[in-house]
Amino acid sequence: MSNSNPGLKTRRDFLRTTVLGGALSWTVPAFLARTFAEFEVHAANDTQVTTGKDSPILVILQMAGGNDGLNTVVPYANDHYRRARARIGLQPDAVLKLNDELGLHPSLNGLRELFGAGNLAIIQGVGYPNPNRSHFRSTDIWQTASDANKFEKHGWVGRYFDNACPGEDPTVGVVISRQMPLAFAAKHPMGVCLDNPENYRFGSGDTGDVLIDPGEESLRELNRPEMAGESADANSGASVGAVSGTMRLHGSVLDYVERTALDAQVSSDRIREITRKVANQASYPGGQLANSLRVVARMIGGGMPTRIYYVSQGGYDTHTNQVPAQARLLQELGDSIKAFIEDLKAQGNFDRVMVMTFSEFGRRVAENANRGTDHGAAAPMFIAGSKVKAGLLGTYPSLAPDDLLNGDLKYTVDFRSVYAAVLEEWLKTSSGPILGRKFEPLQIV
Amino acid sequence: MGMLKPLPAEKWNFTTAAHLLNRAGFGGTPDEIEQLAQMGPDEAVSYLVDYDKIPDPTPDPDWARPDPDRMEKLLAFRKMNQGLKGASDEKRKESEEKRREMQREQRQTQQQHLLELRGWWLERMVKGPRPLQEKLTLFWHGHFATSTQKVRDAYFMWLQNETFRRHAMGNWLQLLTAVAKEPAMLIWLDQAESRKEHPNENFAREVMELFALGEGHYTELDITEAARALTGWSLNRVQQKFEYRSAIHDPGLKTVLGRSGNLTGNDVLEQIVAQPQAARFICAKLWSYFAAENPPEELVSALADRFRQGKSHFRPLLETMFRSEEFYAPDVVRTQVKSPTQWLVGNVRMLERNLPPPMMTSNWLRQLGQDLFAPPNVKGWDGGVAWITTNNLLNRYNFAAVLVLGRNALPVVMAAADRKEPANRMTERLNRFNNRAAPVDAGKLFPPESRKDHDTFIAALGKRFLQSQMREKQATAIREYLENEGELDDEVVLNSIRLVMSMPEFQLT
Repeated sequence: MSNSNPGLKTRRDFLRTTVLGGALSWTVPAFLARTFAEFEVHAANDTQVTTGKDSPILVILQMAGGNDGLNTVVPYANDHYRRARARIGLQPDAVLKLNDELGLHPSLNGLRELFGAGNLAIIQGVGYPNPNRSHFRSTDIWQTASDANKFEKHGWVGRYFDNACPGEDPTVGVVISRQMPLAFAAKHPMGVCLDNPENYRFGSGDTGDVLIDPGEESLRELNRPEMAGESADANSGASVGAVSGTMRLHGSVLDYVERTALDAQVSSDRIREITRKVANQASYPGGQLANSLRVVARMIGGGMPTRIYYVSQGGYDTHTNQVPAQARLLQELGDSIKAFIEDLKAQGNFDRVMVMTFSEFGRRVAENANRGTDHGAAAPMFIAGSKVKAGLLGTYPSLAPDDLLNGDLKYTVDFRSVYAAVLEEWLKTSSGPILGRKFEPLQIV
Repeated sequence: MGMLKPLPAEKWNFTTAAHLLNRAGFGGTPDEIEQLAQMGPDEAVSYLVDYDKIPDPTPDPDWARPDPDRMEKLLAFRKMNQGLKGASDEKRKESEEKRREMQREQRQTQQQHLLELRGWWLERMVKGPRPLQEKLTLFWHGHFATSTQKVRDAYFMWLQNETFRRHAMGNWLQLLTAVAKEPAMLIWLDQAESRKEHPNENFAREVMELFALGEGHYTELDITEAARALTGWSLNRVQQKFEYRSAIHDPGLKTVLGRSGNLTGNDVLEQIVAQPQAARFICAKLWSYFAAENPPEELVSALADRFRQGKSHFRPLLETMFRSEEFYAPDVVRTQVKSPTQWLVGNVRMLERNLPPPMMTSNWLRQLGQDLFAPPNVKGWDGGVAWITTNNLLNRYNFAAVLVLGRNALPVVMAAADRKEPANRMTERLNRFNNRAAPVDAGKLFPPESRKDHDTFIAALGKRFLQSQMREKQATAIREYLENEGELDDEVVLNSIRLVMSMPEFQLT
């Protein structure tokens, strides 16, 4: 590129000349100033960015489709289990025993090791009152932390950002996916989502990651928010309507898109830089979950200011021929989590990270006619971390036919008391305003 | 205060005509907009609204007909398996293998048909002679959001799509009744499984909550009672169509929304649509889709009055909407986030190019969050700013490059979400695909006279892609780009187009 526009040559220059050089016409997000400072530090000595180095990090892992909890944390010695699962039940000598009654699915050796090392909590019988068996609805309930009969617009993570992280960097939340989960919906949406760091950028047509080409430079300029005093008229939008009236300039849709564009630029530059610089230090299995966690580990290692990461694994809707399907999924789950934690240990970041799994529901106690299981209710959650209260928490729901609710396990732990614990004991924030009311936090740390 | 007064003819111009075509259709070329501008508001609105006067010769997909043989086979297999309960393991295994083989074939066929169906519909949106009919069909698809994820039958999805199209401008009760009897809906909300002994409330609930009234305008008892009345509405799986089965209908006394009697499904829908709230609900939703979200109360009342005057037909309502001053207000024009479908179809129309192959467009739309025939849930797509995430925005910018330049801006790396191996065959296939799309014809879009100087070119870019002047800041950025490049050759023109499509305001319409 020629030098006709020397003031806007690089990302750092962009920040220097625009953000600190003049006031933006919209609220300047606090993160921008900090981002700028970081880049300066970074430029000066090429050390790691340091923001958020000590803050706790939560990794939410969604097991989408409704994982069969009974064949995950298996009550292998229970007669009701043997009867209800005559064909797909797991044998006592196959399960990875936790005690005289319970064992993990044979594929979960990764988690069994963590359990043995005191780094895994298993919360039994998690659910909520009046369980809903629709994937969508029940997922929404978990994501919004709402009662089963209430529809909430915002998610529990989104409310955490609204309450505890105002003005933070947009990368305070990172979703490894194309779409934002409902959990992130908020009054003031935060968080970015990307499905792959290499695709998460404006492609300029050449394959190298060399100097910014003229097209990319122009793109940055086109996607930079308007400055105060810059073209007051000039919002052509204001003159577009055919009748009198004002365009909603402040807080308008265009503001939102511009802001997202800026978030995308700032975060894509940094995420790409960091994920290229930091290498994984553990050997991960194949599969999309492992790939997502690889990216998360690199982002943590690179010092992203992210407090919450969100990854997911699908395929748990095992209506037919469940045994091989679930074995494959759980193998991937356990091995991926274990590799992720080894990676964090090698980085020296394990103490900062907690991994929490959830699934929208467990499955029916009785197997169905197709060697599978249908949508059910309560199921276990896993929480991994160096500081968790390791072991079996809560109570395993009774499998006695009289104790079931429409053939499903009755929950013994409300999932919102797990959220409350994560918020209070791990993220160190008050859970009441986020969950809408007080849930007694489970002791998990 | 009078609402919904017609926009005076002297205010009709290129901008208003473009707004009409963007919202009542999928936008168009400067020439097409110019033609609408010449017509004047009455004729322009009528051109879009009275589409039944324009023949639409689009042929059906060749597989779009019932296939009773296939259904017979599936059912026979199911019966056979049931009959094998006491049989030997070996026999069971053999039958199970056959069944699985058949299922695999079925799945592949359905996937292929679905891909063709998506392409077929997008093609109608791009080239069909009735843009408003397709725009309404898309509205009804999002409103009565059924997904192939559960319906699992491309023929049923097509059938329903045609019902949306046929009734798009018709009477509300007729549309609602036709949709309720569509196999896709009977499966999607479990009405086909509902029996008098165990009425399934899924459809009864959603028809009140999501389709016709909105929360707070019915009771739980209304739902239970309506579910009883709707029993008997079922699906004949062999003939692949709606069937009323009196044996499973609950003929007893029910009370729904204040009406009592031995109510049937038809009675329930009639009673729902007769509620004053019903007109308000659907009018507000149509306004949100075509004009702006959250219409004020008095506007909703005015629209609902108009709707009732027109005997609950959509044609007079839409005509009033598209003629009204409110529709052309500054807080409406160019303030709507383009849906991914609007973005794609509009781009293809503005770029005067062909639609890329369905495998590519389906992949794009899925990545941008609007997988046609697979909305995320019964609520449909959230729309509005929910279309815009950091990831989606960068994807829009990068897919735009493929549409304009005919090649990938990025080497395709499969999404973590799709990837089993770091590099697999699917990646290669998509790479090949994306690189095979032809670039647009720069000479056709921007002939020499539009390139005589930078300002003329920038004005032409704004007119074609934003249907208005570019903001000064953006114009400056493009001007700087052009100055750096020197000659305004086709490559520079194409890159400029790509830049305009990668601006925040291009995401709005």
